Amino acid sequence: MTTSWIETQLTEYLLERFGEAVQPDSRPGYLGFLVARNKLLEVCRSLRDEFGFDYLSSVTGVDYHPEPFMEVVYHFYKSTGGSALVMKTQAPRDNPTVPSLCSLYPGADFQEREAWDLLGIRFEGHPDLRRILMWEGFAGHPLRKDWREPFFEEDAKPFKSRWPEGHFIRVEDNNPYKNNVSYPPDFDPGKWVPDKDELLYGGLQSFEEDSEIKTERIVVNLGPQHPSTHGVFRMVVLLEGERVVDLKPVMGYLHRNHEKIGERNTYLQNMPFTDRLDYICSMSNNFGYALAVEKLMGIQPPERAEYIRVMMAELTRFLNHMFSIGFLLNDLGAFFTPSLYAIEERELILDIFEEVAGSRMMCNYFRFGGVARDVPEQVLDKIKTLVHDRLPRKLDEFERYLTHNEILRSRCEGVGVLTPEQAIALSVAGPVLRASGVPYDVRRADPYSIYERLEFDVAYGIHGDIYDRYLVRIEEMRQSLRILRQVLKDIPNGPVMAGKPQFQVRVPPGEAYGRVEGPKGELGFYVVSNGKPNPWRYHVRAPSFINLTSLKTMAHGAKVADLVAILGSIDIVLGEVDR
Amino acid sequence: MTPVMVVFGLLGVVVILTALGMLLSRNAIYSALFLVLNFATVAVLYIILGAPFISLVQITVYAGSIMVMFLFVIMLLGAERLPGSDRLRRQRWIAAILGLVFVAQVILFIFFRGQLTAPVGTPPATLGSPQAVGTTLFTTYALPFEVTGAILVVATVGAILLTRGAALPYSPIRKEEK
Amino acid sequence: MEVSLWIEWVIKSLFIILLLTGGFAYTTLYERRVLARMQVRIGPNRAGPFGLLQPVADGIKLIFKEELIPEKADKLIFILAPVITVIPALIITAVVPWGESVWVFGREIKLYLADLDVGVLYLMAVTSISVYGITLAGWSSNNKYATLGGLRATAQMISYELAMGFAMLGPVLMAGSMRMIDIVNAQRSMWFILPQAIAFLIYLATSLAEINRAPFDMPEAEQELTAGYHTEYSGMKFALFFMAEYIKMIAISMIGSSLFLGGYHWPLPAHWLGGFAGPINLFGKTVIWMFFIIWVRATLPRIRYDKLMQLGWKVLFPLALLNVAVTAAVIVLVGG
Repeated sequence: MTTSWIETQLTEYLLERFGEAVQPDSRPGYLGFLVARNKLLEVCRSLRDEFGFDYLSSVTGVDYHPEPFMEVVYHFYKSTGGSALVMKTQAPRDNPTVPSLCSLYPGADFQEREAWDLLGIRFEGHPDLRRILMWEGFAGHPLRKDWREPFFEEDAKPFKSRWPEGHFIRVEDNNPYKNNVSYPPDFDPGKWVPDKDELLYGGLQSFEEDSEIKTERIVVNLGPQHPSTHGVFRMVVLLEGERVVDLKPVMGYLHRNHEKIGERNTYLQNMPFTDRLDYICSMSNNFGYALAVEKLMGIQPPERAEYIRVMMAELTRFLNHMFSIGFLLNDLGAFFTPSLYAIEERELILDIFEEVAGSRMMCNYFRFGGVARDVPEQVLDKIKTLVHDRLPRKLDEFERYLTHNEILRSRCEGVGVLTPEQAIALSVAGPVLRASGVPYDVRRADPYSIYERLEFDVAYGIHGDIYDRYLVRIEEMRQSLRILRQVLKDIPNGPVMAGKPQFQVRVPPGEAYGRVEGPKGELGFYVVSNGKPNPWRYHVRAPSFINLTSLKTMAHGAKVADLVAILGSIDIVLGEVDR
Repeated sequence: MTPVMVVFGLLGVVVILTALGMLLSRNAIYSALFLVLNFATVAVLYIILGAPFISLVQITVYAGSIMVMFLFVIMLLGAERLPGSDRLRRQRWIAAILGLVFVAQVILFIFFRGQLTAPVGTPPATLGSPQAVGTTLFTTYALPFEVTGAILVVATVGAILLTRGAALPYSPIRKEEK
Repeated sequence: MEVSLWIEWVIKSLFIILLLTGGFAYTTLYERRVLARMQVRIGPNRAGPFGLLQPVADGIKLIFKEELIPEKADKLIFILAPVITVIPALIITAVVPWGESVWVFGREIKLYLADLDVGVLYLMAVTSISVYGITLAGWSSNNKYATLGGLRATAQMISYELAMGFAMLGPVLMAGSMRMIDIVNAQRSMWFILPQAIAFLIYLATSLAEINRAPFDMPEAEQELTAGYHTEYSGMKFALFFMAEYIKMIAISMIGSSLFLGGYHWPLPAHWLGGFAGPINLFGKTVIWMFFIIWVRATLPRIRYDKLMQLGWKVLFPLALLNVAVTAAVIVLVGG
């Protein structure tokens, strides 16, 4: 990998200033620097303040089990663009403690909590280090390599019990119903009082006691069963009248430990599994994962495959934004009409996905080094009619009905404001970041695939409110159509797969971080390989999840009704948040 | 005994019962509801007396607006449960004596000053009509009417000023709107 | 004569109640079909021809649903609240005239139930009472969403009642009477929607707020308060709230048509078809008015609660007041 001049400078500077504390990571296939734990904060502050690495994209941990250490991996970016700076810090496995970066990068909040929850890495100085995806009281940290689930079979798929003959054991038979519950000796389920979530409620702050009239503050749980949390998501809200004083998101109700399952799967088995993350835009998820593994494997897909990939990714973006605007309007109380209008267009795009990939939502279309099937000529024609005629027309119609609607504007303008500084600090990504006036788009900032050749503008807002997020999404749809028009014009003929399709790919040891500009924001896949058929570490930087960090900031002082709209404007999918 | 008198008697009983219920209920919401029922019954009494205008005004203003505000405030403050112990216990015997004096007064009035309870002559049908009430209000009682209105406006403005303290915490969003 | 008059009243009352409850059932179907058409859907079309038996199916389903009462609810009020909500909805149309008179079995029957000389005031009184059911339902459920919904409903309905009352005063001033029949008859030559356009618009907005329909459906704001005041209700108790909402929708349309759209006059002369043309006129206007209400629901997002209160107090109320003053002045000067 070539390094630019500034990066060489940076390396020299860091090595010179911090001496022993900063070492280039010299393991084969690895990038970036290893930082000593006690110098981490200092190094990061210098990175942020002196080198402009103000955007902390991803925080995750890796458990190198038989070896006695755990590693925390940070990916930094500049909000003005450029490639990643990878920093790692190691901590002993029996007591992994690392300083928290929350004070420098508030966006590390949820990600550090996730690393604590799943890997048991303790972040010192974190303001609210609770479990985030698992429940309080869960035994162990499931992403550790020596943690084994009930009915554990093997460390890696395909399990011998099911392959090659296809026999399998039903875990339920191992442990029949009613015998599968056992209590500790001193535990009586009849006397058990459920946990009152004291950690959660106790953390709710109260502020601004200067008001003359003392009104009663009430805690309201919006969710997990609530019509407008877009799934099983819960917001614990402290209300004063109808004003939000404090808020804590609670998630993990759909948690299935995607990453652990991903580490058990072979590389290719993960491809359909990524579909299930953000189930509305499975194509983008495929894209990100394919990029990460291709980086590791060092292969490039053929030209036609690149065009098809971009085409699918942009169609997905269009579809997702259509959907999200429709449901934003739903959250504002428009009774389903906008969302159903949006869904009508979405169905047309799904028709194309079905013809191309064989499935409407769970596409499983990308492969390492290409795509699964070629796009037939008649499907291309269909896409052309959509892109040149139907979609722009419908987009105009959508805008005519919505953009200048009085109620929409009065509900959205000036609500849920996120300043550019806050947005960058909170690691917000995607349309939410851009609406705050930070024109950061991975397609431009760190181009991948063929985006460098394509002409399009990065849509961005100024005010950082819900209305700007809406406008940014509309503009992005227009830009997507623009990209699609170019792609459709230039798409070359040729193979769609580099080499022969394989069920088992060989991935050399190393690490890679593949990121794409997904419709919801920067979608990153951090994959560590040790040369075996299964990834050693498979981490998803889920944009919905990290964007939720900003919910509290945006909701501060808003009304309950705004809260729902703010959540809608972040555009989350719980499949991706909870993983 | 005419049917009207029977209805009148029944309604009278309801009025007294609801008034007692209002006084004795330990739950402020129930008290308020008893009072609403009381007002509604009195409104029906007005209809029997041939004054539908007064009756409907009674319902609109007392039952429909004032009592709704009462309920609203009770619910907003969560004050529906009265404290178990009576803080005015020492005043009870005073209340009892005063009550007895009042009952004695009423009895005296009814039995010894009989001329005061002589039936009033049937009022003209137009007495309670909207036109009649309006005319009276805006001619004979124009000054008291306007003064009352002014006092109410002052009270409203004062209440608004009191609730809008100088240190009203504005959210950052509201600040930007300004 | 006395007895037959009583019988006539009872029959007319029963007729109105049956009509309203039956109308409620088919209003739900009407709304669902219209909404579906506006949302690129088909709507219920399976139960019976054109889905005409759908309300029956819904009713049967609701009857057999489990009735849940929250453990910590105030049981008496919890059960009473739906009833309290339905009654004002059922009685409010009593003063609305349907037509002039018809001859049935050689007997002239006036097409109105009550001819109060303070008819408009009666409307106001009943509207002001109708907030109780919702408030009490919200409070008695002992649920935060329900309480918030109940409180919102109270504040909203009280605020909009005033502006609505002043909007109704426009036609009253024009007709010089509070009797509904006088108001309708005064529109024989010209509907009050023309001289009282502002009052009409205010009535339109405030009536939507009074019956908690979109875009003023704050009390039940699904997206915020799950279902608002009726979050905890199920089965027939829930159906009663539903019924009250739809009957109020019918009532508001009928009243509005009578106050501003000429009531039972026009397009058919009211005495045609042996007098039955009047009810047909009114029915047609009511259906069109309800179509408008449904249309609004399919189109507009919800206004935020505080903006709604601002709209009510800072725009609609002064405007209505001004309208009354100007109307009165013009009538005095011109001699209306």
